[in-house]
Amino acid sequence: MKMNDLPLSGIPLPTEAPPAVVFQQLGAITRQLHDALNQLGVMPKLQIAAQGLPDARSRLHYIAEKSAAAAEKVLNAVDRAKAEHATLNEQTRLIAASVLKDPVRAVATGEVLNFLGEMEAATERVDQQLTEIMLAQDFHDLTGQVMARVIALASELEDSLVKLLVQAAPHEVASRTDMAPLDGPVVDPQGRTDVVSGQSEVDDLLASMGF
Amino acid sequence: MSVSTDMKFLIVDDFSTMRRIVRGLLKEAGYVNAEEAEDGAVALQTLRHGKFDFVVTDINMPVMNGFELLSAIKKDDALKQIPVLMVTAEARKEDIIRAAQAGAAGYIVKPFTKATLEEKVEKIMLKLAATASAAAAA
Repeated sequence: MKMNDLPLSGIPLPTEAPPAVVFQQLGAITRQLHDALNQLGVMPKLQIAAQGLPDARSRLHYIAEKSAAAAEKVLNAVDRAKAEHATLNEQTRLIAASVLKDPVRAVATGEVLNFLGEMEAATERVDQQLTEIMLAQDFHDLTGQVMARVIALASELEDSLVKLLVQAAPHEVASRTDMAPLDGPVVDPQGRTDVVSGQSEVDDLLASMGF
Repeated sequence: MSVSTDMKFLIVDDFSTMRRIVRGLLKEAGYVNAEEAEDGAVALQTLRHGKFDFVVTDINMPVMNGFELLSAIKKDDALKQIPVLMVTAEARKEDIIRAAQAGAAGYIVKPFTKATLEEKVEKIMLKLAATASAAAAA
């Protein structure tokens, strides 16, 4: 059964119809759409998928939050580690100067041993930051699981809608206009000629245009 | 505008983590003077109320995106000489060309490396220095 075969109420939609008439027409069309969906057996699946949407939204929100929290944890650990490294660098410079100037004094006064103790402690703290960074990756596990659920939901929805589309398509199907204004990161560059994959292709493209 | 590591950067991206990363990388390259904005509109306001020497911007942002920001900067007599470096996930050739034609000083695709950011910033700095000395000689 095709959508075109469904009898509409018969009254052509006037261009300047009073709201009540338009409302009535829409009501009739909606009813017919509902019936068609039911007859196609798509309704239950579509309903389940549609009901899952608010849930999907909160899941995606969860993913975004977890990822952001992890990134913040990691960057904080990086900041701390880099600060340790900067201090260590400075101390190394000072002790090197001291040793060059008077090596015996540097050792005798305990300066060198002191420095070595400091270095041991500092690198221990850096190592701790590295462990923090490793642990912060745990979000992948959780977000991965949640993503799988959202993907499953989206697939269900897509399947139902495609089925509906296929059933309802008129004989001449208009060509798909799929150009979203901004696409975001390219997930799969395979076979695409309209995108670059990598900075060197960007540079080549610009160079070829004289930029 | 003299080229130096004192130059003031404006980092524009709706993703705070990315702003932080770019800021960190610029700092390691010696550019410690930087401020942030979360979209093109905030960026434009910030630029108009401060003395900035360099803009690094994402494209995909709410309110006002990077293309619109670039265009607004180039239309503003007080701002048009500020180099604008695009750092974005948008990889379509037509977008890259569009940015270049609109006057972007450079285009970096995400994910990018520290080396790439440094190289592009350096390249723009050299160009700035060249035009500055050419103007001085004129």
